Amino acid sequence: MKQSKRAIFVFLAPAMLLFALMFVYPVLRTAAMSLFNVKSVSSTVDTWTWAGFDNYIKLFNTPLFITSIKNICKIFVTSGIACLGSALILAIILTQGLVGQRFFRAIVYMPNVIAAVAVGYMWLLYVFNAKFGMLTTLFSSIGWTEMANFKWLSADNMFLSMSIAYCFSNAGYFMMTYIAGIEKIPADYYEAATIDGANVFQKFLFITLPLIKGVLGTSLVLWTSKTMGFFALSQVFGGVSTYVPMMYAYDTLFGSEVSVDSTNAGVAAAAACIMTTVVVIVSTISRKSVKDEGYEL
Amino acid sequence: MMRKTNHIGHRLKKEAPRIPGYIVVLAWTAFVFCMFGWIIMASLSTTKEIFTNNLLSSGAHVENFTKALFTNNMGLYLLNSVIYTVPYCILIIIIAAPAAYCLSRFNFRGSGIIQALIILGLAIPNIMVVMPLFSIVNSLNLSGTHLTLIFIYTAGSVPYTTYYLMTFFKSISTSFEEAAAIDGCGFFRCFWKIMFPLARPAVMTVTIFNFIGKWNEYFMALIFANKSELRPIGVGLYQVVTSMMNSGDWAGMFASVVIVFVPTVIIYALLSKHIIGGTTAGGVKG
Repeated sequence: MKQSKRAIFVFLAPAMLLFALMFVYPVLRTAAMSLFNVKSVSSTVDTWTWAGFDNYIKLFNTPLFITSIKNICKIFVTSGIACLGSALILAIILTQGLVGQRFFRAIVYMPNVIAAVAVGYMWLLYVFNAKFGMLTTLFSSIGWTEMANFKWLSADNMFLSMSIAYCFSNAGYFMMTYIAGIEKIPADYYEAATIDGANVFQKFLFITLPLIKGVLGTSLVLWTSKTMGFFALSQVFGGVSTYVPMMYAYDTLFGSEVSVDSTNAGVAAAAACIMTTVVVIVSTISRKSVKDEGYEL
Repeated sequence: MMRKTNHIGHRLKKEAPRIPGYIVVLAWTAFVFCMFGWIIMASLSTTKEIFTNNLLSSGAHVENFTKALFTNNMGLYLLNSVIYTVPYCILIIIIAAPAAYCLSRFNFRGSGIIQALIILGLAIPNIMVVMPLFSIVNSLNLSGTHLTLIFIYTAGSVPYTTYYLMTFFKSISTSFEEAAAIDGCGFFRCFWKIMFPLARPAVMTVTIFNFIGKWNEYFMALIFANKSELRPIGVGLYQVVTSMMNSGDWAGMFASVVIVFVPTVIIYALLSKHIIGGTTAGGVKG
């Protein structure tokens, strides 16, 4: 018994040590930083001065931060509906036993294995290009001049364009999650429904949807943490309409011209705390609600 | 004959409701192929051909690639990415597999708290930990070495990898260890000789995900490896495209994009069975 206790310790210690160094200490320190005036990220603790909630108040009086919050909320809701919606539709289509089903799944998932920067550039440099872009070429070849002249990359439309690129690169990931959920449903449920004369939509509404509720909850958690970490595409597309809190925190910390209070790392820490709180709350709630309903995750 | 037409009729009846589905996935697939195809062709053309819509009209210009790889350092960035991801993939398994095994197999005091912390760790965004790490790295003068990012990747991946392997170990029957214990097999040997080989499929899948994930990682790399001799491929691409944008070298930009996506797409093509199996197994549990 004693020996196995020692063995357990030896097995766990390295992972726990790394966890403490990478998560426990940094999270506590960032949380503390958000309550102090901290000149720069590397300032030692003895130079910190107490600020209370000043950093948070300052943050909410910074127009750029408010813009970034609005943008991320817009991405969360609109891209969320578009991305998770198309993922669900694709998942339903690709669990019907189409010819070449596995190939289609692989194609839809593919953007997930490519660096977000590269996917971003594929859209930015090619698909949305006003001179030789895919969309311009396509719309002018079918004679739809209005759409052919649409300025995808003008300041007004940048957000829309970025959202399309973002949905495209993430839909496959969520599709796989939904497919896993749908394939767990026993086939005889559908057979029984077919005998009773249910159509495709009824089957979806009364069998598929209730039985993949748990998976839908999981996908919402994944979507929240994905959007909160939204960064690379924002940097690739650039511009105010695509500015997100990660960008704001990054700019505040590591030098930028845009941020008002770029010398105060405490403000960036406050922004980080807000984002983390959102992710943790959403994931706790949905984990709990899924558990309460008794669905197996 | 009668039976045959019947069969075809039956088949048609079965496939007919699926036609809208076929249209959607075929359109999606066509889009993906056009996009990748055009970009690969553009990467082998000249900038003038790209703008005049005459891709490849003067043959394949492989020099776009040699220029991106050697003049613009994409080759060095590729090498850096390998230097980061390969040691990371090995280290994280050596560290996380034993921990996952203990947490899934033994009931000891603190096990519940540790598991709860690991699940919490899955939800912590990078921005929450990056500032203290940055100050540690600065005060210890670690910013000029590859080891920093290898360490950060390994430590940052502890929750995900441990959690993934934990769910797998829970599904293996305990009779293997019982048999081994009766044969007098010690705890350590029992793990590395019996349990770890049994977990090979899960280790393989999680390693593929870890590799692709960190190969494509951007935020941490931007902060901890943003010097030209340290940059991995993702951050390198941003720098290269930004500088090529100024010089108007569109062919070079497309070549650089191709250099970034080709390695992971090849791995994906070879291992897609593993990857897709892994998403459906791990995704639901996530």
